[in-house]
Amino acid sequence: MSLNKLFPACISSFCLTFILLPAQGQLNLSNMALLYVLLVVVIGSHYGRLAAVLNAILNAVLYAHVFVPPLFSLAITEVQHLLSALIMLVVAILVGHLTASLKVQAEQIQVREIQARTLYDLAKHLTGTKTPFEVEKVADQFLGLTLGILKIKIVSCHETKANFPVSLEALESIKKTQKPVIQIDKRIALLPLTSDYFLLCELSNNFDLHNSSPELLETVASVIRVALDRIYFAEIARETEIRRSAESLRNSILSALSHDLRTPLTVVLGLTESLALGKASPERQKAMLTSLHNQALSINRLVTNLLDMARLRSGQIELNEEWQPIDEVIGATLRQIRSQWRNSEITLDIPPDLPPLRFDAVLIERVLWNLLENAIKYSMCDLPIELIVRRTGDNLDVMICDSGPGLPAEGIEELFGVFQRGQTESNIPGVGLGLAIARTIAEAHGGQVTAENRTGGGACFRLRLPLGNPPMLSELEDDV
Amino acid sequence: METQTILVVEDDQQIRDLLKVTLEGEGYQVVEAATAAQAAVEVRSCNPNLLILDLGLPDRNGINFIRDYRLWSLIPILILSARTQESSKVAALDSGADDYLTKPFGVSELVARVRALLRRMPAQPGQQASVIEFGDFRIDCIKRLVTRGGELLRLTDIQYRLLILLASNPGRVMTHKQLLLQIWGGKAVESHQYLRVYVGHLRQKIEANPAQPRHIITETGVGYRFQL
Repeated sequence: MSLNKLFPACISSFCLTFILLPAQGQLNLSNMALLYVLLVVVIGSHYGRLAAVLNAILNAVLYAHVFVPPLFSLAITEVQHLLSALIMLVVAILVGHLTASLKVQAEQIQVREIQARTLYDLAKHLTGTKTPFEVEKVADQFLGLTLGILKIKIVSCHETKANFPVSLEALESIKKTQKPVIQIDKRIALLPLTSDYFLLCELSNNFDLHNSSPELLETVASVIRVALDRIYFAEIARETEIRRSAESLRNSILSALSHDLRTPLTVVLGLTESLALGKASPERQKAMLTSLHNQALSINRLVTNLLDMARLRSGQIELNEEWQPIDEVIGATLRQIRSQWRNSEITLDIPPDLPPLRFDAVLIERVLWNLLENAIKYSMCDLPIELIVRRTGDNLDVMICDSGPGLPAEGIEELFGVFQRGQTESNIPGVGLGLAIARTIAEAHGGQVTAENRTGGGACFRLRLPLGNPPMLSELEDDV
Repeated sequence: METQTILVVEDDQQIRDLLKVTLEGEGYQVVEAATAAQAAVEVRSCNPNLLILDLGLPDRNGINFIRDYRLWSLIPILILSARTQESSKVAALDSGADDYLTKPFGVSELVARVRALLRRMPAQPGQQASVIEFGDFRIDCIKRLVTRGGELLRLTDIQYRLLILLASNPGRVMTHKQLLLQIWGGKAVESHQYLRVYVGHLRQKIEANPAQPRHIITETGVGYRFQL
């Protein structure tokens, strides 16, 4: 390798001498010397220090031999000429040396820049990772070639000791000192990440201790450590959030049970005891039975809502989404509503030719049921409830409007959140539960449920669902 | 007319008692079974006209029970399911159950379903009525004609097949899968959207108010039920 560099150094020296030979005696000696020095600069910048020094010495000898009088002799007679030859030698060596150092530095800077960019890329891509496995993959992908690392693995010290490439003593010392261990002969580097985890790098043959210093490997390790820490703490935060919301759900269920369930149960107990006494008149008994039935229904509604909410909140609900017309599920819901509230009047305003939507029919039926039930319970007027379907932009709105007292101007949003906050006892049974369920289901569909007061009195609840792009149906029969 | 026997397979004593009291009040004879094993014995000894089956039996999956039972008997099966058994309900209907009730159910609804199922005893081939009538409508299955108040109603092939299939099973829940299988054959079982489009078209033609149908009732998440 060094011969490859030294050979051009010699050849170029002789070439230059040969080229300058015709100018012998005509060109000023000092110019000649400068040309030789220039050659040293070129050689130094291309072939490094050793070549530059060799070239300088050779140049000085050739210069002295060929051009300095007496010509073609090394015997320099004049002191002045000897001095200029010596100065040329010194200058050439010095310049060659400086040029070569500059070259080395430039190369190092280039390597560092590549390393820095690689580290930056690594850090950037690590921010998107979600699991330690992903971290390992990203690190492997980004570090591999540039840093002369063949393979990167995150290993635990609990892994099979047999697979561990370093001795147990070495492992203990890494744990204690938290300093990396690089074994060039085995082509591995082991860097501590946490107390239990290590970064194991398989080094390639051209891994250069000089370029990729231990500090660099430590930087890599610390970037990866930060990513792992972030993942770890994100996971902890997520778990805490789940625990917190489970806790608040449990509190809400308890408070709902304690109030909303106790009321109808008290009535049921009282009524059954009175009936058992058998003192009431037959008409009175009939009324009591009706009341008993209604209380049982209200308990059923509450339990259904609690079960729904618990299922929705636990994340067990899998949407069974299909493209279907909204009017079909509206019709089915109205049928059920009418079987329970025979007297309430509901007027429909559904435009024809609505596009199909993608939703889970069973769940959307729950939403509509809850909204209609609310409207019936709170409207308290003989005026009909209106169900209006409208297309607005990329959404379809189903509005359920009553002519009741309307909603309190402040805290409309809180209607939906009663359940989450686990509000203490309220005197309206089950309020918020149904709305919270409706909103949760709508949000799972990428939609929403909102409430507003109508101009002219009454409340309006709006279920908004995205329209999406229904698939085209081919092979439909032509309708005649 | 001889007394009809109903076999109630339900592991909960209280619900069994409720069913027994109610159905005996309606004049049916009720035989009880608490487990699938017991039911298998009773089915042979009492030869019931109707089976009421709870899906959550302790000793056996209700769906497997229905599948085995359907291999040799055609008597109607009414299933009782809890609200959390949405998918197993559909699976049970697909396996051959005829109708379902979700707990808690009203007694009047129970009696209505039982009556409807018993009225529609297993159809013998050739005994199917060739004319079906509902509302102002009259379907002549032999001539393939549908008339409303004497006036001819024009239906496409698929609409006609859908209407016949639904109307010849009045009161019975037909799951999406069953309808698709019988109208389009095996390959179309997954494309529920087609079925919904055709049901929509058919409703436009036979319902006075398609948004609130009287005849083709939607059973959300399950299928359709035809009411005469």
